[in-house]
Amino acid sequence: MLNRRLLKNLDFTLIFTVIAIIATSLVIIGSATHINTPSEERYWYVQRQGIFALINCVLIFIMLHFDYRSLSRYANLFYILNLIMLLAVMFVGQSALGAQRWIQIGPISLQPSEFSKLIMIVSLASLLDKRAGRLNSLKEVIPVFLYVGIPFLLVMKQPDLGTALVFLAILFGMIYVAGINTRVLMMIFGAGLAFLPIFWHFLKDYQKMRLTVFIDPNVDPLGSGYHIIQSKIAIGSGMLFGKGLFGGTQSQLNFLPENHTDFIFAVVGEELGFVGAALILILYFILLYRGIKIAGIARDNFGTLLATGITSMLTFHVLVNVGMTAGIMPVTGIPLPLMSYGVSALTTNLISIGILLNIYMRRQKILF
Amino acid sequence: MLVKRSNNRLDILAIVVLLVVVSLVTRLGYLQVVKGEYYGSLADGNRIRLIPVMAPRGLFYDRNGILVVSNRPGFTVSLLPITGPVPDEVIHKLAGILNIQPNDIYAKVNQQNGSFEPIRVKSDVGPDIVTKIEERKNELPGVVIEIQPIRSYVNNELAAHIFGYVSEINEAELEKLKPEGYKAGDVIGKFGLEKVYDKALRGKDGGGQVEVDVTGRPVQILGKKEPLPGNNLVLTIDYRIQKAAELAIDEQLKYLQTKTEYVNAKAAAVVVMNPKTGEILAMVSRPAFNPNLFSGGISTKDWKALNENPNHPMDNKVISGEYPPGSTFKIITGVAALELGKVTPEEKILDTGKHWIIPKGNAMGEALGLINFQEALSKSDNVYFYEMGNRLGIDNLEKYARMFGLGTTTGIKLPGEMEGLVANRRYKEKVYEEDWYLSETFDAAIGQGFQLATPLQMALVMGEIANGGYRYRPYLVSKLTAPNGTVLQTFGPEETGRIKISEKTLKLVRDSLREVAAEGGTAGEVFANFPIAIAGKTGTAENPHGSDHGWFVCYGPFEDPSIVVAVIVEQGGFGSSSAVPIAKKILEAAFNINQTSNIDTGAKVYKPQTAL
Repeated sequence: MLNRRLLKNLDFTLIFTVIAIIATSLVIIGSATHINTPSEERYWYVQRQGIFALINCVLIFIMLHFDYRSLSRYANLFYILNLIMLLAVMFVGQSALGAQRWIQIGPISLQPSEFSKLIMIVSLASLLDKRAGRLNSLKEVIPVFLYVGIPFLLVMKQPDLGTALVFLAILFGMIYVAGINTRVLMMIFGAGLAFLPIFWHFLKDYQKMRLTVFIDPNVDPLGSGYHIIQSKIAIGSGMLFGKGLFGGTQSQLNFLPENHTDFIFAVVGEELGFVGAALILILYFILLYRGIKIAGIARDNFGTLLATGITSMLTFHVLVNVGMTAGIMPVTGIPLPLMSYGVSALTTNLISIGILLNIYMRRQKILF
Repeated sequence: MLVKRSNNRLDILAIVVLLVVVSLVTRLGYLQVVKGEYYGSLADGNRIRLIPVMAPRGLFYDRNGILVVSNRPGFTVSLLPITGPVPDEVIHKLAGILNIQPNDIYAKVNQQNGSFEPIRVKSDVGPDIVTKIEERKNELPGVVIEIQPIRSYVNNELAAHIFGYVSEINEAELEKLKPEGYKAGDVIGKFGLEKVYDKALRGKDGGGQVEVDVTGRPVQILGKKEPLPGNNLVLTIDYRIQKAAELAIDEQLKYLQTKTEYVNAKAAAVVVMNPKTGEILAMVSRPAFNPNLFSGGISTKDWKALNENPNHPMDNKVISGEYPPGSTFKIITGVAALELGKVTPEEKILDTGKHWIIPKGNAMGEALGLINFQEALSKSDNVYFYEMGNRLGIDNLEKYARMFGLGTTTGIKLPGEMEGLVANRRYKEKVYEEDWYLSETFDAAIGQGFQLATPLQMALVMGEIANGGYRYRPYLVSKLTAPNGTVLQTFGPEETGRIKISEKTLKLVRDSLREVAAEGGTAGEVFANFPIAIAGKTGTAENPHGSDHGWFVCYGPFEDPSIVVAVIVEQGGFGSSSAVPIAKKILEAAFNINQTSNIDTGAKVYKPQTAL
């Protein structure tokens, strides 16, 4: 049974921050979707997202009963399951927007790449836990890169550039905190830069186009550049106080596509203005800061590394997603954590938050 | 050993997170606060469209307030590009529905390059096309249907040459009129009064600010400026007389073509004028056109038919038809001879059928014997007037013709008026590089040879005889009124010339012309038992290209003239048999004689102005 004392040790700042973000998310999804749906299905997206948020909260509560440290034991099993899942996408997955990313299970379409991020964090935390303090040479570091490299390539093959980049962010965040030698880290960066042209070669045409368009959206204003241009117009035209909920002309009149998923932050910017958007970013800062705090006070290396991985993942998501809607990051299809509509991402992110709570709750070594 | 205690790397991670959030907030501040206005205007550019609402053109009323030119609502298919150019696929589909060439649409798109206003592709489409477009709305983003006023000529061909027609501005006109605020897609007056008074008639277009969604479909109206209708014209035209004149011409042309040898009598012109003011009461030119054909864009087939008609239906023959005036010119020759003392009213000249110097004679070789001025003019004796020409000389003839107003435009405010030609030495020298011959003076004296005049000019000549020598600018519009009825501008008589003719000469000429329409005169038979005394002059102008043109120019009532009528029937033969019957019917309508009154009850009888 869950100890009463453990419950007292919940991170309420984190909980309230998450609730605030999800509440905002439901309102914004409602605003972004209500105009294009028939009235009887007007709040379908909001209801679905809300129901899954509740289910996940129950799930987190149950998970809090189990010590996060037991995850370490299954790390290798998780890793193999991850590879199987990613391979499954390649064979039975369904295509959307030029990439195979979905697996249909009953009424639910799952995006395995979302879950794979968290699984990656768990198994990598376990691996680094064993090597902590020994990452002084390439010999020690290269196996870690290979360990991440295999699922990375599978995700690239889908192709899902966004998730692949998230893997890199997780890897670098965790290996850095795990104490990698700075010189070795620099060498790896140098090698990475050298391989960049080869990496470019492996990109699909549409991915190359997205990156080109990121440099200059006006090369293709009605095609690939359209999202960026319309998103910037949406955010910019929100000005200081926004156009009000349901009042965003860019989102409500369909000038802004994908406005309840990847580009939801543009709706925030347009309807709530700079004040609202900045407040949301401050909520994210609190969330991420709590993540780092939890990493700092975790009772063991595994907890620290888990919290670091989760924080790295979330930080990268916020940076790339908000940066994309604001036109300073390329369009890569990375959702905004806890905000964008999408059941797989919501579940992954809430379980991640649950793990953070779990680590925080068990921070003291000795419980009397 | 815990990794966190071996280094302060978590602090660096916290700084990275802070930097990420700060840079994102900074970027948002730049977009939303610094550049907010700019993006705000771009968002408005996305969603707001100005849809001009065309102002209805001013209406035309006849002198008694009968509505003769109006507007009716019509559907116009337009393109409203939203996020970029309208896709080729849509243009091709639309061209298919409208049954026009895609290139026609591209031409219109290019004409309006860069504007956010709708591009009018086809105006006045039928309900079937409206239904088709509405049904396929989803396949045709950017295609909208507007309701626009379409010019409507209530009586179709009636007075078409006076009213003119409207159609869409073309590129040359746009080039010229752009500084005056005209824009692509505007409907402008191209002919007749529509052209002359275009600026007063067109009004001010209004517009709606409409919010559209990404497919260009209007979502809501944000603001509306009602269009200001154009100003109305009150015409000097009398609808009853105009209608009678049109009917009279049509009946007469049909009669001539079917019942006489003059099968080519297909064109004619009539003008009815108040000699005391210059007001035009009716003006007809045949063949005519239906100006309604142009209002919604004329079809190629209709345009071809009008263009290829050898009798030029688009010409207003009253002002642009130049005909030899024939015997109607003898009025001028007669006045000149009397005024310059070249002949006395009493002097009798022997007509043996041919002139003694040059063997030119009367038509059909008639010989009237010893005749004085009055007999010569009323019976239209050629030999007598050859002799007058001989005595006057070409220079005096020219002088008097010009004094009467020939050889120059009358100044009527209609496009396309011609000057005619007064026979003179300089013209012949210039064009033929030859000296003047006496035989040409003979021809000139009876209105043949080089002499050319428009029906309107001859009406003015007759007007000067009727009113004692005053020449007024003929006019068609008496009042310009605002849509609410207030009079903005009044137009009245404007003297443009005066010829001094002695009372004695005037009386003799008038009496002679009275004889024409009395028993024994050339028009006497038709006017037998006519209750109102009419004075007139017939003419039969030789036409080298076919049958003679028939003229009749007259005025009435003889004692106090209120009406001048000039009629010409191209290739109608003798004036007395072709033109006179038309004039008679017009005078009957004007003086309300033998009217069955079933045409247009309620129309007031024309009452001549007694002003002056």
